[in-house]
Amino acid sequence: MHMSDALLSPPVAVAAGVAAAALIVAAGRQVKRSPADSRLVPMMGVMGAFVFAAQMINFTIPGTGSSGHIVGGILLAAFLGPWAAFLTLASVIIIQCLIFADGGLMALGCNIINMGAMSCLVGYPLIFKPIVGRKFTNGRIVAASLLACVASLELGAVAVVGETELSGITALPAGPFLAFMTPIHLLIGIGEGLATAAVLCFVKARRPELIEETPGEALPGKSFRKAVVWFAIAAVVLGCGLAWFASSNPDGLEWSIEKVAGTSELVAEHTTSLTTAASAVQASTAVIPDYSSSLSGIIGSAMVVLLVWVVVSLIRRPAGAVQKVDNENNPS
Amino acid sequence: MKTTRLENAILRLDAMRTGVAGTSLRLDSRCLTLVTVVYLVCMLSVPLTALGMLIWFAIYPLVGSAVCRIDFGGVFRKSLYVLPFVVLVGVFNPIFDHAEAFSAWGIVVSRGWVTFASIVLRGLLSVQALLVLIEAVGFTGLCRGLARLGMPSYLTTQLMMVYRYMSVLLREALSMRRAREARGFGRKSFKVRDWGPFVGQLFLRTVDRSDRIHRAMLARGFNGTLRFFNTAESRWTASDTAYLAAWTAILVAMRIFDVSSLFTHIA
Repeated sequence: MHMSDALLSPPVAVAAGVAAAALIVAAGRQVKRSPADSRLVPMMGVMGAFVFAAQMINFTIPGTGSSGHIVGGILLAAFLGPWAAFLTLASVIIIQCLIFADGGLMALGCNIINMGAMSCLVGYPLIFKPIVGRKFTNGRIVAASLLACVASLELGAVAVVGETELSGITALPAGPFLAFMTPIHLLIGIGEGLATAAVLCFVKARRPELIEETPGEALPGKSFRKAVVWFAIAAVVLGCGLAWFASSNPDGLEWSIEKVAGTSELVAEHTTSLTTAASAVQASTAVIPDYSSSLSGIIGSAMVVLLVWVVVSLIRRPAGAVQKVDNENNPS
Repeated sequence: MKTTRLENAILRLDAMRTGVAGTSLRLDSRCLTLVTVVYLVCMLSVPLTALGMLIWFAIYPLVGSAVCRIDFGGVFRKSLYVLPFVVLVGVFNPIFDHAEAFSAWGIVVSRGWVTFASIVLRGLLSVQALLVLIEAVGFTGLCRGLARLGMPSYLTTQLMMVYRYMSVLLREALSMRRAREARGFGRKSFKVRDWGPFVGQLFLRTVDRSDRIHRAMLARGFNGTLRFFNTAESRWTASDTAYLAAWTAILVAMRIFDVSSLFTHIA
């Protein structure tokens, strides 16, 4: 579900970035206000690392030839409370972007909203909590997880379509795009819901107080360590099940865009229709098809860049510091 | 959980931690962060059909990595990992877009191929710019720079904690795998019934260690906010201002004026 920079125009990306930043600030205030002690910090760290690992396991959605990965928002929210869970998931998405180039830097705001806010701040408080209420029965947990996960993933899918459309991508109509996105994310949501419920029911059987009182909302003086251990075991059981279905099929989002007619074409449309001041200036100085299609311009530019490469590599020799760090830290 | 993937992830996390800041970099991490943002905005707003204009933006990763004394070859190789995704995104352009872009020596090149090349280049360049930044200042330096640019401390702390625990988790996995291989009589792959206990044990060990780290942090006065270990704060100097101003001017100029059109007129 990670959106790439190619799908977005700068104005939409910036707007989503501002919205995501505002939510992060709000979440930070809520977490600071909660009576949690410093244990919440390592707890959120462990959970973030765990979700990072869990998101790498794709599971196949039967009958579509597509696969998806767990978002983990509802799961995090059930243990940490909505605001702490949102912060944790946002940090995971930021690290995925910075270190592993998963999802673009410009698309960061969109990804935090689509995956983080939709599950932790919408699905959990509006669907999961009211259904579960104060009676944590297995049936209620399964129903709440399924509905909350499906709803938050569908909301995320609709948000992806909305952000794409707002970016001015006219060649990909909203109708067919939605028609592909929603059924796929329904299936992913069911998978995520069942996976979430399996973990929650397991933890409930061992450490019921963990689900009943989440630290982000009210932190009682309990040992988080044992709770995290049980959570980990449940996660491993879940992981084993999902590993069987793990596949290298394309992600749901990529798959549906692919089916609709080739994203790339839309990208071309959207970038040429950019209404930024910069492109206005540029449009006034030259006709786009004319200069852009110039082979001599492309070859000439490429040669200059190659020349710069040669000159740069002759003038300055790299320090090789990064390689040294690798070797020092990993003597074997 | 293959050998190479695990080890690569650890190498990557370690290499990204400190960057080259300690050796030769004289630029502030805030300066490099701002230059990267300016670069991405300028580069990503170039129309896909303007391939000639886009090519000029390849100069920043080249020169930027040289200034920061990073091996550009390594940056280039790492950026190739995004190729499968960008090719998947762009591969439909040549199929659907047959409008003629230009013809040369009797060969007609369609606009689809031009935009395909643009998408691939955009994907590579955006990742290269990000790699130059993160390899120059490191994850710690980036977090510190972002904190001084106004990012709230709880988010910095959370990013550092997740980053730290990811490294712990992978390191434990590596040592456990070595132990298993040493006793495994040449068996490399995991059966599913082995994999479960393996990962379960891994998580227990990770949680144990994180608990120890937390207690050690408390013993050293942890009060909810991480202190950066390098107390010598880098200062924003005139060279930072010059570097930022120079790149902003160059990038905005490259975005507004199509330098490649000069070659068209010559030809």
